Amino acid sequence: MNCYDFHVRSDFSEGESSIEDFANRAKLLGYKGICVTEYFQNKDHMEELKKKCEKISKEVGIEIFVGFQIRDTKELSKLVSLRREYDVLLVKGGDIELNRKAVETPEVDILLHPEFERRDSGFNQTMAKLAKENNVAVEVNFREILLSSKNTRSHIIHNISENVKLCKKNHVPIVICSGAVSHLQMKDPKVLISMGTLFELNLKEAKKCVSEIPESIIQMIRERQNNNWIGPGVKVIE
Amino acid sequence: MKKLKILPPTLRQKKRYMSFQVIPEIGEDFTYSDLEAGIWNTMLDFLGEEGVSKTSMWLLKDTWDPNTRIGVIKCNHKMTEKIIASLGLIDRLGDNRICFKIIRISGTIKGLNLK
Repeated sequence: MNCYDFHVRSDFSEGESSIEDFANRAKLLGYKGICVTEYFQNKDHMEELKKKCEKISKEVGIEIFVGFQIRDTKELSKLVSLRREYDVLLVKGGDIELNRKAVETPEVDILLHPEFERRDSGFNQTMAKLAKENNVAVEVNFREILLSSKNTRSHIIHNISENVKLCKKNHVPIVICSGAVSHLQMKDPKVLISMGTLFELNLKEAKKCVSEIPESIIQMIRERQNNNWIGPGVKVIE
Repeated sequence: MKKLKILPPTLRQKKRYMSFQVIPEIGEDFTYSDLEAGIWNTMLDFLGEEGVSKTSMWLLKDTWDPNTRIGVIKCNHKMTEKIIASLGLIDRLGDNRICFKIIRISGTIKGLNLK
């Protein structure tokens, strides 16, 4: 089984560990690839990040994808226009309007923790239907659970379970990620799978969230970067 | 004291043995008692006393290797996922930052291929 962690944040923007540390830890834990998700600043910054990831990927021997995390709707429209130039587009959930905008945009790959810093789950049946329509995956973030405790943790687990239930009912893809900002917060893929089973997923479904669904996102990335690709669902067939 | 008669295999609880490795941060180390306390406290916090009782969890002291930092946990066969999820929530042993790696799960200790 090839496992991927699609949400780690390095010291390139706000994280605490370098991309090298993440790559080495990911290899040690048995991942096939990771996605470094950073905040977008400008094109030069993006090119620098891409070059760095390519270099480390060759040195360490695991796949490293470049992703950008969107914090507001303005940033979303800007990054959608540059969609072919990087690998993964992620939206930082939590704000109800941004959650809605993310699931309405087919260019978005993953909606991160829609319940982030909210009392409710931040995700409803309408959003779930839109996410299915536009093939936007919803993330289950392990770091949220790791860093909380007692009643806060129980609230978070409840909200995540609600979201997972809605996603399952509407066949929305789910990805389980560590959400690590330091290489010490990266977890064994088996831990992420086991955590998935606590959210009303069976073992098979939980395994899918760590391997098959990220793999389908990677396939989409490769298709998009192909010269024959024109737009979502449109490509030149030779 | 008279010993209890052994249960027949069909009535015994089905168990799983889980080998794990603790990966500490470079330059930091921990003791076995830190590990034991860390695991029990996290399990009791996350699963509760009733939850832990259902897991029939036990940390096997004899199998702990301080050089490779590999140990074995024995638990109920239905509760392995809960145990692994709880192990993932441990990020510190004492003051030392660590990470758990699950190596193998088996029905027998021999099946873990520890040596």
